[in-house]
Order: sequence, then structure tokens, then C-alpha cells
Amino acid sequence: MFERFSDEARAAVVAAESEAAGLHHGHIGTEHLLLGVLTTGPGARLLAEYGVEAGPVREDVVQIVGRGDDDIDRAALATLGIDFDAVRERVERSFGPGALSRRACGRGLLSRHIPFTPRAKKVLELTLREGLALGSRELRAEHLVLGLLREDEGIAARILRARGVAFEEVRARIAGRDAA
Amino acid sequence: MAAQETRDLAGAVDSTDPTVGLAAVASLRTLVERLEALHVANARERGWSWQEIGAALGVSKQAVHRKHGRRRRLLG
Repeated sequence: MFERFSDEARAAVVAAESEAAGLHHGHIGTEHLLLGVLTTGPGARLLAEYGVEAGPVREDVVQIVGRGDDDIDRAALATLGIDFDAVRERVERSFGPGALSRRACGRGLLSRHIPFTPRAKKVLELTLREGLALGSRELRAEHLVLGLLREDEGIAARILRARGVAFEEVRARIAGRDAA
Repeated sequence: MAAQETRDLAGAVDSTDPTVGLAAVASLRTLVERLEALHVANARERGWSWQEIGAALGVSKQAVHRKHGRRRRLLG
């Protein structure tokens, strides 16, 4: 799948994993892929044209998804002498980022990679499809934006839609650039 | 919230206040459930039988399989 990705598109996927880890999420969803794209130069530049930037999008994600373990009341646990952050740090050291999050249970623990959600996998497939449809030899971070928009139902698509980013327009813009 | 701040807050609250005590129990239970799921999944990946896992947790193999077996099949 990733052989056709440019270095920057790969970097976006790697950054997506870091974003998931930073939020203590046990999965890489479309929202993390979007944040990953926003950390790469070309992806960030494309989305900046629509006023979409990493900081506010991260806030959107936290608001929609929450952090992976924010259903655990740290202050309450502290009354028992339990430092939740210390517990989490140890568990994540053994089992990887987001191991204590709601959705982490049952994943491939020994691989230590955060798994993609089915929607995120679909985004990667659609990225490939859109890139091919545009006749691109290489899949770039911009094509990931198309994949995210085309997927249409994930959190990233919702965030992008709410911020006025539309598939057809982005596609036309990328096609124009590729032709130029 | 910084760890020190959390501890100060914790120290300031009356430990017999049910609101605090029950919230602590609820969060502890959530934490234990997550840890259990994590360690059961880990044991399965390392080839432990449900019998062995049940014994280590102090419950029957049926109980542990009923609770954790389905989740793994769904995701597997």
C-alpha cells in the first residue's frame, strides 16, 4: 500500500500515529490522518488555503473524540494515592501508546503499532484510487486530503466539511497543479 | 492538571465524602477493566490457555472466556 506514497505522504502517516499516541488513543482514525497531513508541508499548505490548521483541528478532535482515557477521574484516583499518569506511563511503556484507552482492547499487542480503524484503511485505499484517477505516479499528502474527503463519513471528513473544504474543489485544485 | 495540584486537591477533600469515594471507585474499576483486557489479550497472544488465564485471575476459565473471548474473535 505505501510503496506508492511520497516521502511526505509517508511522513503524514507516521505523524498520524504520533498524533494518536499524543492523545492516548488506541487507534489511528481518519482524524489522526488529517492531523498527520496538517503536519506535512504540502498538506498543510493546501489546507491552509481553506483556513484549516493543525491547532484548531486538534481541538476539534479532542472535542469530538475526547482523549483516550478522559473517562478516568484522575483527581478521584489521587484520593486513593493512585497517580494515574504514572500508571499510564508504565502501561504504555510495556504495551505502547494508547494502551489504556477505551478502544485499545484486543489489538495486536505484540506488534506495538497502533492499528488503523477500518475507516482510516478505507481512506488509504481511496487515496490510492484518487491518485490513480488523477494520473499521479506518486501519492502525495494532497491525495490523502482527497482520500479523507472521499471517505465522507469519518471524523476527518466531518471536520473538513464543517470548515468548508469540498472534495470537487480540492480535486480540481490538485488536478490544475498537476497539469501546470 | 499538574500532579502536585492533583495531590493538593485530593488532600483537601474530605475522604468520607461519598461523591469523592464513589468517583474513585468508579475510576478504579474502569482502570482495572482496561488492565484486565490488556493483560488477558497479552496472555492470549503469548499462547496462554483460558484455563491458565482464569487460574491467574482467580476465576473460572468459562468466566474469563465469556468476558474476553468474543472481543478477540470480533477483532481477530
